[in-house]
Amino acid sequence: MYNKKIRGPLVEGNKTLSQISKEILSPMETVPGLWWYITFGISSIAAIFGFYAIFITVSRGIGTWGVNNSVGWGWEIVNFVWWIGIGHAGTAFSIFLLILRQRWRTSINRAAEAMTVIAVMMAALFPALHMGRVWLAFYIFPYPNTRGPLWVNFNSPLFWDFIAITAYLLISFSFWYLGMLPDFATIRDRTKSKIKKAIFGFFGMGWTGSGRHWIRFESLSFILGGIAAVLVVSVHSIVSTDFAVGIEPGWHTTLFPPYFVVGAIFSGFAMVMTLMVIVRKIYKLTDYITDNHMDAIARILVFISLIMGTAYSTEVFIAWYSGNEYEMFTFFRNRITGDFTFQFWGMIFCNALIPQLFWFRKVRRSWIGLLAVSLLINLGMWFERFNIVVTSLSKDFLPSNWVSYNPTYIEIGVYLGTLGLFTAGILLFFRYIPIMAVSEVKSVINIGRKSDD
Amino acid sequence: MKKTYKIGIYDDEETFISSIKSLQQKEFKIYDVFTPYPVHEVFHLLKLKSRLPTAAYFFGLFAIIAVLAFLYYTSVINWPIVYGGKPFNSFPSFIVVTIVITIFTVTIASLATFSARSKLIPGRDNTIFDHRATDDKFVIVVNTDTLGDSGSDQIEALMKEQGAVEVLDKEFENVIA
Repeated sequence: MYNKKIRGPLVEGNKTLSQISKEILSPMETVPGLWWYITFGISSIAAIFGFYAIFITVSRGIGTWGVNNSVGWGWEIVNFVWWIGIGHAGTAFSIFLLILRQRWRTSINRAAEAMTVIAVMMAALFPALHMGRVWLAFYIFPYPNTRGPLWVNFNSPLFWDFIAITAYLLISFSFWYLGMLPDFATIRDRTKSKIKKAIFGFFGMGWTGSGRHWIRFESLSFILGGIAAVLVVSVHSIVSTDFAVGIEPGWHTTLFPPYFVVGAIFSGFAMVMTLMVIVRKIYKLTDYITDNHMDAIARILVFISLIMGTAYSTEVFIAWYSGNEYEMFTFFRNRITGDFTFQFWGMIFCNALIPQLFWFRKVRRSWIGLLAVSLLINLGMWFERFNIVVTSLSKDFLPSNWVSYNPTYIEIGVYLGTLGLFTAGILLFFRYIPIMAVSEVKSVINIGRKSDD
Repeated sequence: MKKTYKIGIYDDEETFISSIKSLQQKEFKIYDVFTPYPVHEVFHLLKLKSRLPTAAYFFGLFAIIAVLAFLYYTSVINWPIVYGGKPFNSFPSFIVVTIVITIFTVTIASLATFSARSKLIPGRDNTIFDHRATDDKFVIVVNTDTLGDSGSDQIEALMKEQGAVEVLDKEFENVIA
């Protein structure tokens, strides 16, 4: 039950319904400040650099990257897993909390889903480029072809990965768009501009808010939420099997699927927090995303951080307990000590230790604290993926295979490019799409406000 | 043919619900209601039901059978290849593909069903009885064509009595909904 005394109202400031429409839609109706243009400019420059790097990669081949025979997966796979992880939380956030009927999700889910859609698009770029000949990427579709017909290998996690990501992207987008229908109708009915009316009338698909629409809308939300929850868990499990079916020391473990899923939700929630701190600061929407909302995300993060800490220690323990000398070497000589100590201890520090600050109410209530910790978590999650991908590959069973790996500027460029595209995408989202689900926020204004509940 | 409608507009959920109840008590048929957010009591009062979950179940069933049949056909009948000494019909590793494609099919098919049943299609121009319903007003619409003047007046009185902030008469040439 919702305890008002402890948790306070979900929406503060005794808003009326029309006030909610007005305040949430105001970023779309006003010209953004200078910060928007500056950030958009910087992210566009990064994106252009990224396009240049992609052009070089495609025209000359992946020999322009630092990857080699031993370390065949470098920054691209690190970044792919990192982006997919971030892309996880949006849907995890809105769907798990929808199914658990956590009403505080209403003011955050739209932004989280937007983040998902953009992050998954960024992620999908990396495996496509990694194919080398990206123009032959369509070979991965199982269609009747003239090559036999030779089908793809349905037993391969790499193929599972492809369908899981494609399905995840399309489903996340559908879910996001479905939620926007009532808001588009609100914009259509409120605006005085004819162009806006036409555009949002088209994309609003003729939504009227009729009882028949609403009951089907809710029913469909629960269907999509219920089955997409399975997908959220399975996508990152599938990504983890890319590693777990390999026999490299440090990869070949049954811990990987839950470890990856939790890690993904961890990084995604951290990114949601980063975004929400910024949205609150810039658009002054603190009545909708209250301190209690941020507090709730911080509590989830500290809990997940404990799971991450447990997973890291389990991995190290099992390496020792198994008595397998290659596993021992990877964990004790190549991660805890050795060439990659910085990345390993960076991961432990950012993911397992720093989030423990959220036990303190003062940190949970300060925006600088929230922003700093959430950014560090995302850095830590990057280190985690680097640890998994590069340390295992660089020193495997045969010492004659041992090499070091450094990314070239082309690889760094692709990564910077995706960061730029992501930021630009988020900025466009702030500008052209309602930041929060207006109709959903309206449905929760009475929670925790009246004396009788 | 022109159709006439009585449109009651309310500021809040409580008066809106009590008005629906009192209209139903007098056995007036409510044409439709429009709200800015889903009001669950309305679904019960108007006996609205959605059969989308049933449809979704059958989409899922169809997808599971279709995907497994496809995997069996490609891996066992059409072009069998031995991967790592495993049997052609390596069912456990087919499960992943089946789950993902099933989820995908259910999503797309349910969305299409939703779109067709609710008549929500890009660019469609459904009739808007009162444009404030998507912002902050709760709207009840009653078709008054067959009720005559006395029935019409009675509805207006009932709506006002229950706290309607406005009661409008509107005529529509052809209603798209």
